[in-house]
Amino acid sequence: MIEALRKKAEELLKNKTVDVVYGYGEGSVPERTRPVFITKPEDVNKLTWNKYCVYNLTTYLKKQEARKLGKPAIVVKGCDAKTITVLIKESQLKREDIYIIGVTCTGIGDPPATKCEACDVNTPLIYDELIGEKIENKEFSFDERYAELDEYEKLSEKEKWEFWQKQFEKCIKCYACSSICPLCFCDRCIVDKNQPQWIDPSAHPRGNLSWNVTRAYHLAGRCINCEECQRVCPADIPLNLLNKKLAKETEKNFKYRSGYNADDELAMATYKEDDSEEIFK
Amino acid sequence: MTEENKFEPRIVAFLCNWCTYAGADLAGTGRKEYQANVRVIKLPCTGGIDPLFLIKAFERGADGILVSGCHPGDCHYNSGNYHARRRWNVYKPLLEFCGINPDRIQFSWISAAEGAKWVETINGVVDTVRALGPFENYQKLNTIGSDTSVSSETG
Amino acid sequence: MSKKIGVFVCHCGTNISATVDVEKVAEEAKKNNPGVSYTTTYKYMCSDPGQKLLRDKIKEEGLDGVVVAACSPKMHEHTFRNAAIKTGLNPYHVEISNLREQCSWVHPDKPTGTEKSIDLVRMMTEKTRKDKSLNPIKVPVTKRALVIGGGIAGIQAALDIADGGQEVIMVEREASIGGHMAQLSETFPTLDCSQCIMTPKMVEAAQHENITMHTWSEIESVDGYIGNFDVKIRKKARSVDLDLCTGCSSCWQVCPCKKIKSEFDMGMGNRTAIYIPFPQAIPSKPVIDRENCILFKDARKKNIKPNDSKVCRKCIDACPIAPVKAIDYNQVDEIVEEKVGAIIVATGYKELDDTSLYGEYGGGKYKDVITGLQFERLASASGPTEGAIKRPSDGKEPEIVVFIQCVGSRDPAKGCSYCSKTCCMYTAKHTMLFKHKVHHGHAFVFYIDIRCAGKGYEEFSQRAIEEEGATYLRGRVSRIYKKGEKLVVLGADTLTGSVVEIEADMVVLASAMKAQDDATKIAQAVYIQYDKDKFLSEIHPKLKPVESSSAGIFLAGTCQGPKDIPETVAQAGAAASKVLALLSADELEREPVVAKVDRSPPPVFSTCIGCFYCQKVCPYSAIESEDIKARDGSVIKTVARVNEGLCQGCGLCAATCRSKSVELAGFNDEQIYAEINALEFN
Repeated sequence: MIEALRKKAEELLKNKTVDVVYGYGEGSVPERTRPVFITKPEDVNKLTWNKYCVYNLTTYLKKQEARKLGKPAIVVKGCDAKTITVLIKESQLKREDIYIIGVTCTGIGDPPATKCEACDVNTPLIYDELIGEKIENKEFSFDERYAELDEYEKLSEKEKWEFWQKQFEKCIKCYACSSICPLCFCDRCIVDKNQPQWIDPSAHPRGNLSWNVTRAYHLAGRCINCEECQRVCPADIPLNLLNKKLAKETEKNFKYRSGYNADDELAMATYKEDDSEEIFK
Repeated sequence: MTEENKFEPRIVAFLCNWCTYAGADLAGTGRKEYQANVRVIKLPCTGGIDPLFLIKAFERGADGILVSGCHPGDCHYNSGNYHARRRWNVYKPLLEFCGINPDRIQFSWISAAEGAKWVETINGVVDTVRALGPFENYQKLNTIGSDTSVSSETG
Repeated sequence: MSKKIGVFVCHCGTNISATVDVEKVAEEAKKNNPGVSYTTTYKYMCSDPGQKLLRDKIKEEGLDGVVVAACSPKMHEHTFRNAAIKTGLNPYHVEISNLREQCSWVHPDKPTGTEKSIDLVRMMTEKTRKDKSLNPIKVPVTKRALVIGGGIAGIQAALDIADGGQEVIMVEREASIGGHMAQLSETFPTLDCSQCIMTPKMVEAAQHENITMHTWSEIESVDGYIGNFDVKIRKKARSVDLDLCTGCSSCWQVCPCKKIKSEFDMGMGNRTAIYIPFPQAIPSKPVIDRENCILFKDARKKNIKPNDSKVCRKCIDACPIAPVKAIDYNQVDEIVEEKVGAIIVATGYKELDDTSLYGEYGGGKYKDVITGLQFERLASASGPTEGAIKRPSDGKEPEIVVFIQCVGSRDPAKGCSYCSKTCCMYTAKHTMLFKHKVHHGHAFVFYIDIRCAGKGYEEFSQRAIEEEGATYLRGRVSRIYKKGEKLVVLGADTLTGSVVEIEADMVVLASAMKAQDDATKIAQAVYIQYDKDKFLSEIHPKLKPVESSSAGIFLAGTCQGPKDIPETVAQAGAAASKVLALLSADELEREPVVAKVDRSPPPVFSTCIGCFYCQKVCPYSAIESEDIKARDGSVIKTVARVNEGLCQGCGLCAATCRSKSVELAGFNDEQIYAEINALEFN
């Protein structure tokens, strides 16, 4: 697989199909990888692929430093590839401006990441070139997809509050969660708007709640469950639980799953006349 | 009187200009009495109510919030309330997931002709929130920092 | 720089002051609030002296923000803002605190009401502090109106506008203008012939130099906004060239398809496949009914162009126009684009025709149970019987006719809870028309209530009973069944408490006036609201009866709700006068409550990232994309921009924007934040 990957990257760079390949390179220790940006065909041997390729490289699509390198080819796993679908739907990217090198994946991380448990995109849904044997994507039921939430949803109101307060208390407002998130691409995050200052930017329990709730809400109908926010959080806040809860509500209420379909309307930018009336009196 | 009996819930209502605000006016014209715990903030449309407004109202000490606008299909702006409905359909479960009692955030459709429904709804919100008691959990968050500062100053 | 705010608390006589301590409210407004430099109370702020007080104090105290704590902003916001304008203060620095409708009138306990009032005033004061000057938006006006519908409402409105010197585009989906009024025999309460008063108006409209008429046409789409609508009209293929055709009648006389039920005659008579709907039709030029014409049927079957079918070419052969015939089988729909400044929707009603709803009246299986409009065609001199009352089943003259009122109306179980308003009167008229034509006949009327409010109406209905001998029975009909040639009508007379059984020759159902089947489609095409019965909604039931929920779009006639001819004509005239007023200006001023997307200095240019969620949620297509370009023309960033002319100020975009890069003027982020922040709960 690695050979095929390098060969493809070399070909793309040689033919000037792309100017740069965003991929994974070997890290300081075997259990780590790091993002690499290959611009010369002779450097393609720096590319690698293994189960430690955890990063969602699509986040570099929002970084000016990376974009300056020119038209990219990007190595994506199935989960990461969903981001590209969303970015295109949200006018952040044109399909023709990117070359997608999809890699088939059977799970990453050691121990494997939570998101890999009910993975239904072992083979990416969108790619220009597929590296690796195509894997028949599995199907999971609604309940299986959101099984992780069960134990938290079962908690009493008091327990929920206490659990989340304990989590949010740890937040140091470092904003690693939004920096890593490929879909947090606003030029000015709401937390940086100071006239008025809706969200207290200091690490205070009050502002921590509004920040974490708002961050999650701003990903409603958008988050593709790459779990990067949770992975990078230095305070170990299980941020993806919030994202997942919203994904569950979005799917339950609007039959919408982010990143799976290039053509359906963005869940939070549309409506149906028969959307649920349950909470309205 | 006991301490508990003294609790009067503080309710903030975000209302659309065309339906519920006018409905509340109609209740007034008809001199229909209701509990005075509500403070109304008027906006053109429920579709223009950002979830941040609700969070901010809790930060300012609200014990309960009502969001109310035109019935589906009747929006002055055609689809504002449909979009609002989507928004609250995901936002409310999120807050609930974080341990906020669902009765603290209520939603309704009240038309300009439904003065009586406004009275019934706002009384309902006040009563349910009164039963829940003050939203101490949230209000405590506000004071966490100030407590420390006070103690450090005096200590 | 902080503002100098004045707070004016109104007693409203005693409406506010009886349950709110207004002096205390004024005092508290100033306390701990350095921004409030002046407070006062006054008996009636809205009175002339009250407004003068406001103006004087703005000037004397140098106020640059005003809170009037009084009645609902819906009452006098306009009044106080106008007063501010006279002093040179921008009106959007004036805010209203609603102490009457939402406080003093609903909270009789004075301490409670006072406490709430203090909060409400503080919230509004804080909002006012953040108010910005806004200037009315000026938009140019296209001096031309569109009237949708060519019934009496549309014709009247079009004539009034045209007589006022403005151009009118009229769109009618049927082959002729005239609508339902052209179908009526006589009209109440004068019994003058409907066509005799209608057709001159039709001719006048057709010949008016300011009116352009599109019949057999429908509205395809409406874009734009008040003063500047872009309308697409679908001119359906008529198969006849209106410019060439002279309406000589040669074609329809030779048409072999003669047994097609005439829509104009409500199925009581027949027409040909190439036809004019009725003799006085305007334009008096035919249309080919492509569903029923054998040539078109043949072409569809063989999947060939209609003109290639040789099955029947009688009409084209008979057409005397040369060298190019006026009939064109291959004609296709054409889209015409027009620009207009105002629109009147006058799309009318339909008669309840779902007979299956009324199983107890035969559910449509008895030929001699007919509807009110069918009776009109029977009684009309231009109708299928030339005005002779003959029952449909055997053409015999009926002697006993039973009229049943409120069929569909006031019957929530069958879908309409409302009163159709015209049926009491037209039933009274029907009994008279019947009696005038069948002297020995007898009319029975089953009614629930007789509602004849209107000039000369009560007298008219009394005449039906007292002079023309109609028997009125208060009660419902439970069943109609056939017995030989007769229809047995089983009903109740609730005044005597007896069961009534009448052997009738014919039954006429006073069927409800319903919204057109596609009323919601029209409403959605022009962005206006409709009610639970699909009638189009006026924006205020009392004070703005002809204005729709969209600025620049007006309503006339029965599309808005059941009404009779005089009311329809009056409403059409009112709508026309609104349109004329609108078109009299070269430019319009609109409330500047519109959204705006952030623009910042370089290198940011705009905090908008161009995700265009705002564009997707905007109900008015008011969000456009704009390329921010560098000097060399390269695109730095593509961001959203609001078209102020289209924006209606709902704020949906502002609430959808994650980075809050869109804000709504008058309800901007800082204003709302200030209002929420003023909640002194903690």
